Amino acid sequence: MSILIDDSTRVIVQGITGRIGSTQTHWMLEYGTKVVGGVTPGKGGTTIEGVPVFDSVKEAVQETGANASVFFVPAAFVLDAFLETIDAGVKLIVVVPEHIPVKDVIKMRSYANEKGVFALGPTTPGILVPGKGKMGIMPASLFAPGRVGIISRSGTLSYEFAGILSESNVGQSTVVGMGADPVVLRNLADILELFQEDEGTDAVIVVGEVGGEQEEKAAGFIGRKMTKPVAAYIAGRYSPQGKRMGHAGAIVRGTTGTVAGKQEALSAAGVEVLQSPEHVAEWAKKHNLR
Amino acid sequence: MRLHEYEALDIFEQVGIPVPRRGVAGTMHEALQVAGEIGYPVMLKAQVLVGGRGLAGGIKTASTPDELKERAEELLSCEIKGLPVRKILVCEKVEIARELYVGITVDGYSGKPVIVVSTEGGVRIEETAKASPEKIASIHVEPSFGYYPYQARSLLRMLGLKQQLITSWTDVIGKLYNIALRYEALISEINPLVVLPNGGLLAVDAVLEVDDSALSRVRFALPDRVDRIENPLERRGREIGVTYVDLDGDIGLISSGAGLGMASMDIIGERMKPANFLETGGGITADLLYRCMELVMMKPDLRAIFINVYGGINPIHEGAKGVVRYIREHNVKIPIVAKALGNRQEETWEIFQSGGVHVVTEAATERAIDRLYELVGGN
Repeated sequence: MSILIDDSTRVIVQGITGRIGSTQTHWMLEYGTKVVGGVTPGKGGTTIEGVPVFDSVKEAVQETGANASVFFVPAAFVLDAFLETIDAGVKLIVVVPEHIPVKDVIKMRSYANEKGVFALGPTTPGILVPGKGKMGIMPASLFAPGRVGIISRSGTLSYEFAGILSESNVGQSTVVGMGADPVVLRNLADILELFQEDEGTDAVIVVGEVGGEQEEKAAGFIGRKMTKPVAAYIAGRYSPQGKRMGHAGAIVRGTTGTVAGKQEALSAAGVEVLQSPEHVAEWAKKHNLR
Repeated sequence: MRLHEYEALDIFEQVGIPVPRRGVAGTMHEALQVAGEIGYPVMLKAQVLVGGRGLAGGIKTASTPDELKERAEELLSCEIKGLPVRKILVCEKVEIARELYVGITVDGYSGKPVIVVSTEGGVRIEETAKASPEKIASIHVEPSFGYYPYQARSLLRMLGLKQQLITSWTDVIGKLYNIALRYEALISEINPLVVLPNGGLLAVDAVLEVDDSALSRVRFALPDRVDRIENPLERRGREIGVTYVDLDGDIGLISSGAGLGMASMDIIGERMKPANFLETGGGITADLLYRCMELVMMKPDLRAIFINVYGGINPIHEGAKGVVRYIREHNVKIPIVAKALGNRQEETWEIFQSGGVHVVTEAATERAIDRLYELVGGN
């Protein structure tokens, strides 16, 4: 079992004819993902990696029965494509691109909530269910099937944690990148809730970073609702205060958003706070995770 | 991108927010001229892009030309929190009956704009927020509904204000909200919003930070954003399209993600000191990593370089070619350790090894830092 992606997931790739879109379609297909179509307005009727390309999302959904979409659309066109995808009835959307204006993300999130669409990103590596399929850019070689869930604000750190676990023969149920922007389409607590309900997940790792208040708010949810063991790592202990670290989200603002503040909040909720990524292997061993 | 106060005040004035009479000066003589036009006493405010300027001595007053000469010289030759003062804003000094605060930002958790007001504006607003939260009020704006003035009126009524002030303050909030929308601001703030003895309002300070991702579609006349970065290495980083932060250690860092870069710094920081933070984002090519090597090597007295990259969206085998080309062309002698995992990792390792880079194939960054620590002689 897994969250978000299962055997019934049929994926379309938006921006499939671009360099990144076509390369990543290749990797997703190779990993066994059911990529059933692609969309690039004006390129309908062609094929990429053997996958039919359509001019509109509506057409792609009608012709292929797609129920999920992954975005490799240039940042400036994401808002438009996102609204089109929701109107076409797609219920799961993964927005990989970075540098999307916050004003657009606010609109996207508001519309997705209104229409009951589950969306991740922007600036997310996507979702990967080991051995089953993936939506996004996660490099498959680092993951192994198992029963530990991972949620990460940073894409590259989700790979790091999966890699360390796989090396210690601990597999993952689902790995989710929630996105690294100051406003994301789904909050950390929403994804934790899915892992709590998933029968295939025994424990969850939260990989956070300095800035914002996702981890603090998630700690509240964990304290109230989570019965599965949770471990957390927060990156950015040595990041100079107030200096930007690439993600607009990673700005230290007062006491909210500091590494220490997040660690305290999570610890108080019963989460095991890891001081360094490799400690995740010992934690998994202690809880007999596989 | 954060705007200077004088730039933000111009924008505020354009939409009709009351602002003081003022002028910008780059020299003492210019300051003298501006002060002569607007009349004494005047405020002199260092134009540096850093918070807490007032508490750091960046704001002075002058009642006579002699005082102005002395204080303008002083400000223009000093540094505020490490930043040189190139320009000062000379503005009329007004009598203050009361200092208010208004700020509009984006609440990342709810994904909505939020308007924050306080009856206790001024340099200690953050302390007020902690010590007397009842003096702060805020309201979220529903994205699908938008902002309407009644929201500001009800917010201000919560603070127990008189109708005359509610009316004039609501007007300022509406105008500030329009600026936040039009300029795609992550922060738009007036602190303090001064109540004059006659009851009128005046925006004595202005903060405007535009969303970097929206810069290409926000149209206004400003010098190139790259010029605003004072640190030459950080400016070079922006030019080549990576995020570079200059630090005071001696271990260079190149990473392919912000989270990975921060974690690498945390692990390096346990035993050594990072010289920089560098994050490439998803655009690695051979040329980009060549230029990243060039940038990292600009820092004097570097002892080693750590490269931590993943092949997800990035073609790391291409990146490795750029690193090796740099090493060969510049005959680099300091140790370089690389951890590179993901798509085409074996090919990447071979390329790195051909250039003498120490490749670590384990998943944990800690193992790579162990190797690096050994190579620099364990100190």
